Amino acid sequence: MTAPIFDTELKPVLVDPAADDGRRASQQTWHAFRRQPLGMASLTILALLVLITVIAPLLAPYPASYGTDVLQPPSAEHWFGTDSLGRDVYAEVIWGTQQSVIVALAASAIAIVFGTLVAVVGAYVPKLDAVIGVVVDLTLSLPVLPLMILVAALVGPSTTTIILVVAAFSWPEVTRLVRSQALAVVKLPYVDAARLMTRRPTWILGRHVIPAVTPVIVVSVVVTASRAVLSAAGLAFLGLGDPTTWSWGRILYEAQQSGAMVSAWWLTLYPSLAILALVLSATLFAIAYNDARNPRSNER
Amino acid sequence: MSIALFILRRVGRGLLTILFAVTVTFLLLRLLPGDPALAVASPNMTDEARAALLTQYGLDQPLFVQYFLYLGELLRGNLGRSFTQSIPVIDVLMQRLPWTILLTVTSLVLTVVIGIPLGVLAASHKNRFLDRLVQVFGVTGQSLFVPSVGIVLLFVFGLNLRWFPIGGAYDDAVYGMEWYGSVLSHLVLPVISLTLIQLGSYVLTMRATLIEALGEDYITLAKAKGVPPRTVLWKHAVRNAMLPAITLIGLQLGFVVGGAVLTETVFAYPGIGRGIYEAVTQLDFAVLQGAFLLLAVTVVVANMLTDIAYGLLDPRVRTS
Repeated sequence: MTAPIFDTELKPVLVDPAADDGRRASQQTWHAFRRQPLGMASLTILALLVLITVIAPLLAPYPASYGTDVLQPPSAEHWFGTDSLGRDVYAEVIWGTQQSVIVALAASAIAIVFGTLVAVVGAYVPKLDAVIGVVVDLTLSLPVLPLMILVAALVGPSTTTIILVVAAFSWPEVTRLVRSQALAVVKLPYVDAARLMTRRPTWILGRHVIPAVTPVIVVSVVVTASRAVLSAAGLAFLGLGDPTTWSWGRILYEAQQSGAMVSAWWLTLYPSLAILALVLSATLFAIAYNDARNPRSNER
Repeated sequence: MSIALFILRRVGRGLLTILFAVTVTFLLLRLLPGDPALAVASPNMTDEARAALLTQYGLDQPLFVQYFLYLGELLRGNLGRSFTQSIPVIDVLMQRLPWTILLTVTSLVLTVVIGIPLGVLAASHKNRFLDRLVQVFGVTGQSLFVPSVGIVLLFVFGLNLRWFPIGGAYDDAVYGMEWYGSVLSHLVLPVISLTLIQLGSYVLTMRATLIEALGEDYITLAKAKGVPPRTVLWKHAVRNAMLPAITLIGLQLGFVVGGAVLTETVFAYPGIGRGIYEAVTQLDFAVLQGAFLLLAVTVVVANMLTDIAYGLLDPRVRTS
């Protein structure tokens, strides 16, 4: 499930990032970024979620054993209450964070690498670009979630399936974003100059084109990862999550299956808040990063 | 470009997209790990029945031949049989399609009706409090998880306030006008959730394009001529900013359909999305495959029609 991304598109960089002031530009961006309270807050939340992923075993025992306290509202003993089988919802959310962050990072990493390669190669080889453009447009105009559902159901639910399925249908969005930037970059004089220096396209792509599209890639990583969380949670909510691991979507799915989805508010509130926290801070981070990179927006 | 050529191009593009969707589905069904027979034959069948089905669907033929057999079956409207309901998949889906269309079209209309004024409000108060408020709303809206929104609405307005029913699409025991009333009251909460998740990006796009339009020379000219500010905003700027906003509706259709699947699941709404959820539970691959193809065709056709309609109204679309 991928909403089109409109706010995060960048203007082409007109300066060769391989030139000497490349490092200074990234430092300037960081300086501007640090002055944005929303950007720093979102970065903190994202860092916190990654920290929870790493230290999940220290925060809560794995919620496997059934308990006798069924559907208890939040209390001192069970911070987020218990589910219909007496398991601790706090532990489920903590372990769900781990699964969600891993899925988001893995799926977006695959989508980014593949999507960027396709975009950059396409921008450099015009014959391929026409084909790539058509494939990307066609994929983006299809209802992707029903397609993901079909594939996940055919292959069988597991964490690997979810990562691969989400990645397989996320790269066209990455390609679309990176491609528009890459197409502008390959026409610039410094790429022509590089063509005079070498005949190896991999060198030009690696040294000039990919660094120039890096800012778009940074934004894509964050946005794709947050979309991956929504897609994975959507699949899990429909019963296509990994039945052996906890995820935010699975908590909601089990709440729905047990019929307590609406009455036991604590079953759905905490995983929902977790999803919102991750996706919202990723979106805000992308916006703040764009603002920080764009010198014009610093003037106001 | 002449109008006929423009329409012809859009129709051709639509057909190409449908062919692409069909080809992707075909390749997925045949090439993914797992038994291709699963797509047409239930795992519980006897060996003979299964072999007969495989021959009927040409699954013993080479891939290339299979592809054309598959296309032929689809052209005749044959999507296979549902394993669990043992009726043709197309019948299962056609019963459900009207509900999905009712839900998505209502929420699309609502998105435009609310989204345009909100975008105008934000753009005309650029960088002031109202603008910030709309931006916060837009960014939050983009980050919502559909089932979460649905559950909150159900909890507040269904369970606690009892304003609207908890699930389903209509009451069984009522007839005539009352039945339409029950359809309407069942529609409210699902439509609100589906509208909330698409409104965010819509408002932000409307705001951005309108701000751009307000910086154009013809706006300065209109102001200099002494045209009242309200007329400049609505008659000169908004009209020009509408184009990307309308195209966005088409671009978002695929995403909205995904949202509809989740919304219908939360509200037990009897559309195609709820059908997909039930098919997942029962591992009814024939229905899953058919549902995707039908939704894809619906989205592509709707997209094509809005494109053509807009091209007829606005000559700029035809030239690009």
